Amino acid sequence: MKEMKETLMVAIFDVFERMFYVFLEPVNDEYSDYAMAATIQFSGALKGEVNIFVSERLAKSMVQNLLGIETEDITEKDIEDCIKEAVNMICGNFLGRLDQTKVFDLSIPSFSRRPGKAAQGENVCMLCFDSDSDGFGTTLTLFN
Amino acid sequence: MSFNVLIVDDSNSMRSVIKKVITISGFKMDQCYEAGNGKQALEILSKVWVDVILSDLNMPEMNGLELLAALKGDSLLQEIPVIIISTEGSDERRRTVLEMGAKQFIKKPFTPENVRKILYEVIGVGDEGTYEGNERDADGGDF
Repeated sequence: MKEMKETLMVAIFDVFERMFYVFLEPVNDEYSDYAMAATIQFSGALKGEVNIFVSERLAKSMVQNLLGIETEDITEKDIEDCIKEAVNMICGNFLGRLDQTKVFDLSIPSFSRRPGKAAQGENVCMLCFDSDSDGFGTTLTLFN
Repeated sequence: MSFNVLIVDDSNSMRSVIKKVITISGFKMDQCYEAGNGKQALEILSKVWVDVILSDLNMPEMNGLELLAALKGDSLLQEIPVIIISTEGSDERRRTVLEMGAKQFIKKPFTPENVRKILYEVIGVGDEGTYEGNERDADGGDF
């Protein structure tokens, strides 16, 4: 799980820096005010899911940077699309780095404005980050 | 010379990003059509001709692989070069997609330079829009 955690962190940095121009700083404490979450399941050589938790301010910053639009022009659909795309790219990037030779199938990402509590357990790893635009969290859960 | 492009992705934002990336890359784009899945793409293709298709893989209703299969089964549409843009970039997936008829595979996240290079490469013209091969004529019609 430790190796996966490191690989997931590299994937997150890559996606955020190259697509959203956001630089994240890993932190130990979980941010408590996430405004939304997105989930994607994967199956193949490994089966599991990736969840991301995003603050309102960071989500708007991501949309702004991705689409090059002003904050006041951002719609709820833009936010949903952007956050779903983020979890899709993070998951794909992570799995590719984990094993380039294996094929994984990804589900269609889902989005929620009511993020539940992050999963915990031996088969779950959680990463928390800070940025200029508030917090970001990710969980990777492996299914049996 | 400029080209008609069809972008197929279920994410509105990603379609906008791809369109923006194509524009800032300097690729000479004429009309840009957008579809949210393979089914919508086929509807558009029944009405207009495009020079190149950029498609995601993971989409509801009709995914990128199903779209490739549908295009391959159509004697006219099979001539349109398809570039798959996806987060899923395993060697095996890439091979499958190319075997199914896609001309190229771009892995997200991507750069404008990479998109431009591949766009010109698959439509058989140089970076300045000059012909490098004899694949298509300037109107995008027959050979």
